[in-house]
Amino acid sequence: MTLLAIENLCVELDGPDGTLRLLDDVNLFLSKGRCLGLVGESGCGKSMTALAIMGLLPRGMRASGRILLEGEDLLSIGEDRLCGLRGRKMAMVFQEPMTALNPVVPIGRQVAEGLRLHLGLTRHEAELRAGKMLARVGLPVERFPLGLFPHQLSGGQRQRVVIAMALTCGPDLLVADEPTTALDVTVQAQILDLIAELVEEFDMGLVLITHDLGVVAESTDTMSVMYAGKVVEDGPTDEVFQRMAHPYTRGLFAAMPSHSSDLDATRKRLTTIPGRVPDASSRPSGCPFVARCSFATDQCSDAPPPLERLAHRHSASCFNLSRVEGL
Amino acid sequence: MTLFLVKRLIMLAATLLVAAVVVFFVLEILPGDPALVMLGVSAQADTLAALRAEMGLDLPAWQRFTNWIGGVVTGELGRSYTYDVPVSELIGERVVVSLPLAVMALTLSTVIAIPLGVIAASRHNRTTDIALTGAAQIGIAISNFWFAILLILLFSVTLRWVPAGGFAGWDAGFWPAIQSLLLPAIALALPQAAILTRVTRSSVLEVLQEDFVRTARAKGLSRRAALWRHAVRNALIPVITILGLQFSFLLAGTIIIENVFYLPGLGRLLFQAIAQRDLIVVKDLVVLLAGTVVVVNFVVDLGYAVLDPRLRSGGGHV
Ligand SMILES: Nc1ncnc2c1ncn2[C@@H]1O[C@H](COP(=O)(O)OP(=O)(O)O)[C@@H](O)[C@H]1O
Ligand SMILES: [Mg+2]
Repeated sequence: MTLLAIENLCVELDGPDGTLRLLDDVNLFLSKGRCLGLVGESGCGKSMTALAIMGLLPRGMRASGRILLEGEDLLSIGEDRLCGLRGRKMAMVFQEPMTALNPVVPIGRQVAEGLRLHLGLTRHEAELRAGKMLARVGLPVERFPLGLFPHQLSGGQRQRVVIAMALTCGPDLLVADEPTTALDVTVQAQILDLIAELVEEFDMGLVLITHDLGVVAESTDTMSVMYAGKVVEDGPTDEVFQRMAHPYTRGLFAAMPSHSSDLDATRKRLTTIPGRVPDASSRPSGCPFVARCSFATDQCSDAPPPLERLAHRHSASCFNLSRVEGL
Repeated sequence: MTLFLVKRLIMLAATLLVAAVVVFFVLEILPGDPALVMLGVSAQADTLAALRAEMGLDLPAWQRFTNWIGGVVTGELGRSYTYDVPVSELIGERVVVSLPLAVMALTLSTVIAIPLGVIAASRHNRTTDIALTGAAQIGIAISNFWFAILLILLFSVTLRWVPAGGFAGWDAGFWPAIQSLLLPAIALALPQAAILTRVTRSSVLEVLQEDFVRTARAKGLSRRAALWRHAVRNALIPVITILGLQFSFLLAGTIIIENVFYLPGLGRLLFQAIAQRDLIVVKDLVVLLAGTVVVVNFVVDLGYAVLDPRLRSGGGHV
């Protein structure tokens, strides 16, 4: 059963020097109860995708295409209906736990707010359930009273509150945008494990955004690699890891410290991808990766390569797939 | 908290002392002999000398200063030369006009400005916002002296809704007294409200960019609910600072406004005392006003602690 299907999603922003296309024809797919990994360096458009799903793009940005949540197109329904879906059907965990919580509202109230809004619980009932949810994410009321304020908690504890807040109404879809990037390394694994457990327990679909391929390999069913506002490769996680059809995927993989040791010499050369992600205002007309790609030919600068199907559900957009895979 | 209070009290005392020294020496330098003012220019030299001795004016400056401060500390504010009554009595009579006036003006400006500022921010760059910002700009440019005269012309002279000036006195009943304070309060409040509207607007705009507002929206709160429940309270923290500052301007404003409306308040008293060289009244009033400003700043600090839990004691990691 399809939970989330994104079709031809484009996000545009009118700037002083014309229209910027921040997301360009993004297609994503997620089945119920499954986990989709969204990877790419920062600036690739991962957060934009997440915000587009939630309908929370910054003012001035326009989204086109379709975002189907259980068949309902989020881009064509009204704001009122979206408010009813946010927090109840779909929820989001943000990258920065230090700023994601309201500093002047006690954590219990922040977690209870969604319950009162969507389920119409009384304040007392909602706080009771908020307390249970907080206990479930590792913040038992005995040690973490509901009256605590965010500044009294550490980063990891705050991220637990954010997770509790996202899950109180039992959403079907959870979007986690780099939920551990801002945390200490020691806490990262705990938070990821917690999310994995809860996704299982609540039978949710998860869009996990990260730039850590190790996390993707460990906990996702399918993955999409994004580069400069486009999906350049996607497919079942194990297949993508096996073939790594797109040069950018290979580059990301080689840049992973834990894996680079068991790579052969050719791949070792790529331990960091030279250059940077082109900004939305300065993208080349051809393949966006052309300037950083060691396989690039003249053809790559002329036109963007189409997404080519490699296997049943595995595709990549590169003119030189056979040369890349031939290595 | 105790430490905070002690610090504040020391601050209060220090500020008052500085204010006292400054006003004393400014008056020392200014020309004008109170004894001469009382007796008139045709006074005999020996009568003048006798009066000066009686008033303690012939003592050296430092001695007059310590005498005065000693009096203030023990609650003995001295006697007005012109009214020939204790200064404390004078202040007591006048404060029942000025204090309600200031409170009314401050309440009015807050009640008008905060909702307007929030609404302007929530309609950023749209017609409502542009209209409100424009109105605020005009409000800031207008001096409250001129605005007061406009109000008198419209509401007293043309419409005859309220008296043009004077104070009915609290003995005349609550409503007549309030009525005679209404126009002055509006004249004081609107220019302040204009500033406060702008401050509120920009503060709310800033807070609306914060991550936690987006988190609130992700929970399913509408734009409006996220604004009022999550953004406004955070946005009020800087607004409180401005409110505190405005109180000082309000005190200065009462001096002008009370004169325009012939209100027997502290501002008018101060104005008259300066004109008549009733120095003891001037000195006491300045210290009183300075003290009020310090106390208001203290209340503002308490306001921060109410709004922002990070400033309350007992924080720290669990
Ligand atoms: N508010 C904004 N206004 C204009 N451009 C933006 C804004 N936010 C992000 N961008 C641009 O959109 C692109 C994608 O950003 P983002 O989705 O945040 O990347 P990621 O989450 O993958 O690091 C980047 O090129 C960034 O410069
Ligand atoms: Mg991001």
